Amino acid sequence: MVGPGAVIQGSPPRRRSPVTNLWYGILPAVILMAVFFVTPIGYTIGLSFTHADHAGLTLSNYAAFFSNDRFTDALARSILMASAAVIIASGFAYPLAWFLTYAVRPGRRLLLLFVLIAPFWTSFTIRAFSWQLVLSDSGVIAFILGRILGEPIALGFLYTMSASVFGLTLFGIMLITLTIFSVMVTIDPRLLEANRDLGGSEWQGFVEIVLPLSFPGWVIGAVLTFIICVGDYAVPTLLGGGFKPVLAQLMLSTLKGTYDLPMAATFAAVLMVVVLASALPLALVRRQVRLQG
Amino acid sequence: MVRTTIHGRVAFALLFGAVTATIYLPIAVMAVFSVNSGRFQVMPFREFTLVWFGRVFRDDQYFTGLMNSVAIATAVSVTATVIAFFCAYSLVNARFPGKTAVTLFVLAPFAVPLILIGIGLRLYFVSIGFEPSLGLVYAGQVLYVLPLAVLNLRNRIAQIPKSHEEAAWALGASRMRAILEIVLPSCRFAVVATLIITFTFAFDEFVIAYFLTNFSITLPIKIWTTLVTGFDPAINAIGVLVFGFSMALGIVAQALFMRKDQRK
Repeated sequence: MVGPGAVIQGSPPRRRSPVTNLWYGILPAVILMAVFFVTPIGYTIGLSFTHADHAGLTLSNYAAFFSNDRFTDALARSILMASAAVIIASGFAYPLAWFLTYAVRPGRRLLLLFVLIAPFWTSFTIRAFSWQLVLSDSGVIAFILGRILGEPIALGFLYTMSASVFGLTLFGIMLITLTIFSVMVTIDPRLLEANRDLGGSEWQGFVEIVLPLSFPGWVIGAVLTFIICVGDYAVPTLLGGGFKPVLAQLMLSTLKGTYDLPMAATFAAVLMVVVLASALPLALVRRQVRLQG
Repeated sequence: MVRTTIHGRVAFALLFGAVTATIYLPIAVMAVFSVNSGRFQVMPFREFTLVWFGRVFRDDQYFTGLMNSVAIATAVSVTATVIAFFCAYSLVNARFPGKTAVTLFVLAPFAVPLILIGIGLRLYFVSIGFEPSLGLVYAGQVLYVLPLAVLNLRNRIAQIPKSHEEAAWALGASRMRAILEIVLPSCRFAVVATLIITFTFAFDEFVIAYFLTNFSITLPIKIWTTLVTGFDPAINAIGVLVFGFSMALGIVAQALFMRKDQRK
C-alpha cells in the first residue's frame, strides 16, 4: 500500500472536523436494546405490581411470593445452586489458569484453551442430556461400579440438586478459567522473577503477586457464572429433576401453566433483583480491568 | 514462561487432563449410544447400527425444526453482525459523551439470564397484541448474540491503524466509503468469524426460543420436547450431529480469529 504522504505531497490533508464524527453508528444497537430489552424488562417489572383480577397497583404478588414456602425455597435453591457452582468451579479454575499461563508454552496455550472451551459453544441442552447417560441409575458409572462390585447399584445421583451443581460447575470451570487466564496472562513475568530473585517461594509468588493481580478476572468470571447459573432452566430440569424446582422452573410453569402473568412477572422481578445485586462486584473491578471477551 | 518445578507441572497437567476428560466423557458416551442397536440407553453395547441416524433424517419434525433453526440463525447472525460492526466502529473511533455507559448498555444482555430476556419479550409483546412467533425468537436472539459480536469486532477494529482510514479521507473518500473500503476489508476475517459464531450461538439457543413460541419448533425445541416427554433413542444421533456441526463451525470461526492475529 502506498503511504499517504507520498500521494498528497504539498497539500497537507485537512482532517475532518469532529462534526463528521460517526457516533451514530451506535444507534441501531441502542435502539434495538431499547425496544427489545429495556422496554420488555421494564414492562415486566411494572406488571409484577399489578394483579390478575383487579386494577391498580399492588404488592400482593410479592406478599404471595414471600409467604409461600414453595416459592422462597425455590429462590433459596437457585441462589445456593449457583453459589455452589461458582465456589467449586473457582477451586478448579485458579490452578487451571495458572497451568495455562505459567506451565505451558505460549504456542500450545491457545490450543489447550480451545480444547477446554470448545464444547461449550455447542448446545447446552444436549450437553446436559448427555450427562444423564453417564449419571443415571442405569448409566455408565452405575454399570461400571455394578460390574466391579458384582451387584447392581443405584447411584441416586441424577435428579438431585447435586447433579445440577455438578453440571453447572463444569460450565463455571470453563468460564472462570477463561476470565482468570485472560488477566493472568497480562501480568508482567518480571514480577515473579523478582520474587524468586529475592528468595520468595513459588507459593509466595502466587499468593502475593498473581492472586491479587488476577483477582478482577476471577470476579468477572464468578459473577457471570453466578448470573447464568441462577437463571438457568435446562440443567435444573434435565439433571436436577422437577421435585425440588428452582426459580426458573416455577417461572416457566407459572407462565405456560397457570397464565397468572403478574405472578410470572414477579418471579422475573425477584430474579432481576438477585442478578443486579450479584453484579455489584463488577463495579468494584471495572476500573482495574478493561472489559474483554 | 516461569520455571515451575517438574512435579508441579505434572500435577497441573493431570488436573487439566482430568477436567478435560470429564467435559468430553458424556459426549463420547452419547456417540457410542448413537450407534448402539439397543432400544434402551443401557450398557452393555449391543451391535453397531446407523438406524437412529436414519430415523433422524426421515423424521419430518426434526427436518422442520432444522429448517427453522437454520433460517432464524442465518437472519440473526447477519443482523447482529451488521449492527455490531457499526456499533463497534463508533465505540472505537468516535468521541461522544457517555461512551462507557453506552458500551456497558450494549453488553448488558451478557449479564442477564436468558430466561429474563425470554419472559420479558413474551409478556411485553403479547400485551401489545403480538402472538409468540419465530419472528420474536429472531428479535430475542439478535439481542442475545449482539454483545458477543460487538466485543469481537470492537477488539479487532481497535487494532486497525487509524492512518489507513485517514489516508482515504485525505484522498476524498466519504466516511462511509472509507469504512466500507478500508475498515471492513481490514477486519474481514473477524467479520466472517463473527457471522459464524453468532450463527452457532443462535442455532443452539433454546431458552429464548422456548419462551417465544407456542407451537412452532426450532431444532433445540424439538430436541427438548423429545427429551422431556418421551424416550427416543434417536436423540443420541441428533445430539451427535448437532454437537459435531457446532464444533466444526466453532473451529472454523476460531481459525479465522487466529488468522487475524497473525496479520496484526
